[in-house]
Amino acid sequence: MKSIHVKILIIAGILSLACTTKVSEWVLLNSLPNQYTLVYFHSAALTETVKQQNSAVTRELKDANVQFKNILKQDIKKPYYALYYQDRLFSKYSDINELKNLSASPLREKIADELMSGKLCVMLYLKTDNQPKDEASLQLIKKTLASSPFGEIITLVELSRNSKEEKHFVSMLLNVEDDLKGINEPMLFGIFGRFKALEPLIAKGITEENVSLMINFLTADCSCLIKDNLPGTDILFTDKWENPTPALVNKILDENPSLMHI
Amino acid sequence: MEQDTIIIDSLTSRPLPKWLTDQRDGLNTLQPVKIEMKEDKSLNISLIVTGAFILLVVAVLTIYVLRRNKNKK
Repeated sequence: MKSIHVKILIIAGILSLACTTKVSEWVLLNSLPNQYTLVYFHSAALTETVKQQNSAVTRELKDANVQFKNILKQDIKKPYYALYYQDRLFSKYSDINELKNLSASPLREKIADELMSGKLCVMLYLKTDNQPKDEASLQLIKKTLASSPFGEIITLVELSRNSKEEKHFVSMLLNVEDDLKGINEPMLFGIFGRFKALEPLIAKGITEENVSLMINFLTADCSCLIKDNLPGTDILFTDKWENPTPALVNKILDENPSLMHI
Repeated sequence: MEQDTIIIDSLTSRPLPKWLTDQRDGLNTLQPVKIEMKEDKSLNISLIVTGAFILLVVAVLTIYVLRRNKNKK
């Protein structure tokens, strides 16, 4: 066999492997999270105290998907911090103390651990704290997961949109789409890869069919169409994505080839 | 607690996320190429090109013969 034929065979093998990688696994292994930018807007020269404060902030955020910038802006009355995701303004902070735990929090740690342990995804149920409203959709999600062959490799977590401890996380989730802050309804976010949150299912949109479609999306072969236009918003989080456990979804699909779909 | 509920029916009023509708409609995978019948114009083109070629050759030869006869006279 000529060497060119061997090369073609090897390349074809690699390509065929790449195309059978599932969306959730491919994103975790290959897709770097998009960067946030934290900007300190000020109208006067920076004092030593502010420089030290900002250095401390930079140190705290050094391992996260965020960069820090100082920007001189004449037309402001008071200095402030602003958090941007690409060109979208997510939050403003008038006080440096509000930046505490910006890049990490207990629930984000837990979700990252789940993703790194080979789980397909984490479904985050953002509650309104209106119990009757929250409970109906929650039961439906639990029922759908219980009946799904992938239910065991999906972690369901609940979070109140009024949580003080997770206020930064809640704020980022409610910025995944620009109108979410004004919608006081239960929301279901699919979180996968390196903390990428899909645009959520909301209120009556949380149906068995739609939850199943979310699972289908994440268990599908990662086509070029998906790779080129990945949906979702990356959540700000400390980088800890080295050496994940192999995806558990492959074991289920190997044991049940009938579940395979594209 | 009706006052904190705005009327959102995400299945009708608010569009579903694109990733979900694409998955539902099978648009996340490469679509097979649609084969469409096209009108075959190759015969017409061939006739026109041949005709033009013949006319060109006749014209060139005519000019050549006329010039040669003129030079002989």
